[in-house]
Amino acid sequence: MIHETGVAVSTKTESAITLSHVSKRYRHFTLSDISLDFPRGTVVGLIGPNGAGKSTIMRIMMGLVAPDSGSVSVLGQPISSNQAAAKREIGYFSEDMRLYKRESIGWHLQFVRSVFPGWDDDYASQLLSRFGLNPEQHVKGLSQGQRVKAVLLLLLARRPQLLILDEPTNGLDPVARHEILTELMRVVEDENRTVLFSSHNTQDVEKLSDSITFIDRGRVIASRGRDEFLEQWRRIRLQAPAEWNVPAMPGIRLESQFRSQRVISMDQFDQAALDALQASGATLEGVERMTLEEIFVSCVMRGREETSP
Amino acid sequence: MNTQAIGILFLKDLYLSRRPLFAYFAAGILSSAVSVIPQPTVAFVGFILILTVAIGSGMHLLGELLLSEGSDQTRTFILSLPVSLLDYSLAKIAVVLTTFLIPWFTMLACSIVLTAVLPWSKAGAIPVLVVVFFELLASYALQLVTAVISDSVGWTIAVMVAGNVFLNLFLMALFQNPEVSESMKAAVPTLSPLLFKIICVEVAIIVVALGLAVAMQVRKRDLV
Repeated sequence: MIHETGVAVSTKTESAITLSHVSKRYRHFTLSDISLDFPRGTVVGLIGPNGAGKSTIMRIMMGLVAPDSGSVSVLGQPISSNQAAAKREIGYFSEDMRLYKRESIGWHLQFVRSVFPGWDDDYASQLLSRFGLNPEQHVKGLSQGQRVKAVLLLLLARRPQLLILDEPTNGLDPVARHEILTELMRVVEDENRTVLFSSHNTQDVEKLSDSITFIDRGRVIASRGRDEFLEQWRRIRLQAPAEWNVPAMPGIRLESQFRSQRVISMDQFDQAALDALQASGATLEGVERMTLEEIFVSCVMRGREETSP
Repeated sequence: MNTQAIGILFLKDLYLSRRPLFAYFAAGILSSAVSVIPQPTVAFVGFILILTVAIGSGMHLLGELLLSEGSDQTRTFILSLPVSLLDYSLAKIAVVLTTFLIPWFTMLACSIVLTAVLPWSKAGAIPVLVVVFFELLASYALQLVTAVISDSVGWTIAVMVAGNVFLNLFLMALFQNPEVSESMKAAVPTLSPLLFKIICVEVAIIVVALGLAVAMQVRKRDLV
């Protein structure tokens, strides 16, 4: 058991993770002024294209990378000064995380077990069986899916309060992905547990998350509840004359146009918005719900248009 | 600082390096034994073997325990555990130093004991042996601080090569020195002022390099 004398993880705070004006500059990438607050007991999906900054944000949350400015608090602990205490209750997975290839899964189990007092032997055995892992198998011979399962086993069996999972399903075959998502769904049933996971697969995020944050080019471009996203976004098909312009309304964007047909997206859809569109001279052809992936792409394109010179 | 965490990480790395460590330990004993065989050519081979084991073990274990954690991406796994940067850094520097010191000390102790007890050996060579071994340790400390600062195999090898070139020049100058040659023939070990000064410089280099290694590692902001 690793512990620091006189330091305890606070349980009074309602926030699991708080990032306040966090910035980090690399030569070819900048994370700009990120402020996020994830309450305890929620399942948060972090969606962004490759290179958007998801992994950097998660590394900053874990104290593996220090921000140039801003502050980070995880489970009530400032990560810059108290990361060991905070990490006692965090299970972190990163797609570039590797185990010791010459050692067996069993050796890793014993090693991690020696570090965590709350290690659950029964749960570890269940996971070994569910994931089809052999404790005597050496890491060197594991497939990508088995490696991901082994790492997840090592962090789930310590029963952490917070799970930070960076692309846990990336590069997995459909069966392994299903097994891992099923296990994560079991985990998120525990309402006291906070889960933050990143992916560029919106289907995975949609399945698991209560709330979703979109990130692109080092900036947060949208953050709200999953149902809110799905309820408020619509794609609207219109017929409009050539001289018709998209009316100035909040959250509206022209997605495409072909001859007289216009397709627009709205992120604050209601009847009043629809009436305003029709009043502008366009003829309504249809209103459709959007998938999370479509909403994400629309958000990204909108954000890029706003920031492009 | 969490000594328990440092202890767990230290023992983990010691366990992971058990096989090469045992091999270098055995090679160290063998080399020391060969170096005191009363036949000049064989003894010279033994001496070269001692240098080879010291240099090889240092580079091998430094690469295996420190540098490969970055390239093998196992560092992320270890740093996901409840350890601070200070705990990790101290444990890492302690273990790479220990794994070098095990064969180093074995060879030093064997060489001193054998030189002292074997009837054909001159005990006057013992202070020179100590100087040579501390030179090897100082060279290793410089490699260690380079590995910590640069996190680069290339830079560490460059320092090792420079250290080896210097070692050859150092040994040549040492054995050609009349004061040293004279003291090596003596039946009783005597630490001459020259050898004492050299040892002081070597110890100073070791202390400064290790202090710098700890300071630089703790100052690092991004570890993955």
